[in-house]
Amino acid sequence: MSKTPAEILLEVNVVFCEVLATPDVVLTDSTTANDVEGWDSLNHVRLIAAVEERFGVKFMLKEVMRFANVGDMCRLIYTKLGS
Amino acid sequence: MLETMRESFVTFRDHVAFVIQGVSHTYADLTRRIRAIQGLIEREAATEANIGIIANDDLETYASILAVWFAGKAMVPIAPTHPVDRNLSVLRQASLRVVLSSADGDLRSELHNASGAMFLLTTGLADIGELSAAQARDDDIAYILFTSGSTGTPKGVPISHRALRSFCEAFTALGVELDQNDRVLQMFDLTFDLSLMSYCVPLMCGASVYTVPPGVIKYTAIYSLLEEHNITCALMVPSILARLRPFFPEIKLDALKVSMFCGEALYADLITEWGTCAPKARIWNVYGPTEATIFCTAYECLRGAEWQLENGIISIGQPMVGVEVLVVNEGRLPVKHGDMGELCLGGRQLTLGYWQNPERDAVAFFEHAGQRWYRTGDLCRAAHDGNLMYCGRADQQVKIQGFRVELGEIEHRVRELTGLKHVAAVAVKDEAGELRIRLFLEGFSGALPAMLKELKTKLPAYMMPEKTTNLDVLPLNVNGKIDRPALVKVAANS
Repeated sequence: MSKTPAEILLEVNVVFCEVLATPDVVLTDSTTANDVEGWDSLNHVRLIAAVEERFGVKFMLKEVMRFANVGDMCRLIYTKLGS
Repeated sequence: MLETMRESFVTFRDHVAFVIQGVSHTYADLTRRIRAIQGLIEREAATEANIGIIANDDLETYASILAVWFAGKAMVPIAPTHPVDRNLSVLRQASLRVVLSSADGDLRSELHNASGAMFLLTTGLADIGELSAAQARDDDIAYILFTSGSTGTPKGVPISHRALRSFCEAFTALGVELDQNDRVLQMFDLTFDLSLMSYCVPLMCGASVYTVPPGVIKYTAIYSLLEEHNITCALMVPSILARLRPFFPEIKLDALKVSMFCGEALYADLITEWGTCAPKARIWNVYGPTEATIFCTAYECLRGAEWQLENGIISIGQPMVGVEVLVVNEGRLPVKHGDMGELCLGGRQLTLGYWQNPERDAVAFFEHAGQRWYRTGDLCRAAHDGNLMYCGRADQQVKIQGFRVELGEIEHRVRELTGLKHVAAVAVKDEAGELRIRLFLEGFSGALPAMLKELKTKLPAYMMPEKTTNLDVLPLNVNGKIDRPALVKVAANS
């Protein structure tokens, strides 16, 4: 059965906690890098790679460029899993 | 340099000078702002030698830098992202009584209240006519930048117009030809001197400067500009490329003709792959400390040629025109050709010395063969063909995303906050080969999150430790000093 957007967000949240080595990250669709301690440029690369691995998807650079917030990432994962 | 700029402002008045956050500004727009801000300086700050500028990403900030120069004064950029304490230290050290700002925000009032400096708003000023010849002379200071200091206080590096002009001439002599059709990337914080290349050189020839908007995730913003605006010339730090590397197979930048890297070790395998992403670009590795104006040695990674490498790291090349280099031993005497030693720099691009800091000058500068030399602290050796190979540091300075970081400055701040005697900051390479700072404390009994929160108000973000570890005792070496290599191992294995 395919994942719902809410389930994807929860899983992305788990990945963020693992990569940033803290249980304190609470993501919503509107969360951006400015809102999360430790979400810097280098960790961004790690987060993208870890999310790709978790969901078995691959992001193009043009897609990553357009992520304005966590919601954009989750919607793209949802689309990619659906197709 | 300013006269060349002024001519370019007239010749290319309808060309785009800046594209900032998607908005284009012509040279005529820029000139009007410069003149208006210069008028403000002449009215309100005629007797000041140094003028502070809050470095925002907008046209007023760039116009303010140029207006300060046309008014014959020195500019001191202040990063709005840096902690207030650090900015106050810059205000005090540079004796800044007047600061230009394009935004009426909290930072302004906070700095004003703590320092008493007068803040002048640079927006909404009326046009006041044509830009006349610059009042700055060659020996006048163009800017003072503050770099990390191992004793805990940033040190000021004043650079004259002569040194800045010499840099521009040396840059041109590399054979990098830019003109009014070029589009140049500006990715640097304005407190970082690499930014000066990214806007001064293009403004002298009518080219357009594309600034990278402030934000946490820079590499995607940079790629977005490179690709969507067909940038033709880009100076970047290698860590940006390392972040783009997973996406190299989908990158094709046919418009990029000059691709320069500075600020960190440049690895040959990364550049070989980058060469296919930017198939028409001439690629350069350039090197230089703030004390020798922007950069002062250069190595071109010629396609099809064998590059001069050491441990996979590309050479930093040879001195640019007007720059002299000397590799010395601990007694400050030149080493035999090919032997490793400390790289010292001389010539026209050199600073006249640290800002009001004779003690530091005495350590960093010396006379040899009738010339003044600056000790970079970088260890180098000359290859058989004369190209310089970077071999590491003689002290505890590291480069984080291109920024100079004295680990001693971090330790000093932590000691101040905790009262601890033994603390150590070390830099370790992560899985992508980038340096990250780890902090070790000995016997800290307080609340770590609260201490780190406080530390954040003292240090810029790039100096903050990624991870902090509290140990019962820090390992010592046979001399009774903290065993840093052992801590690097502990950090790498954790």
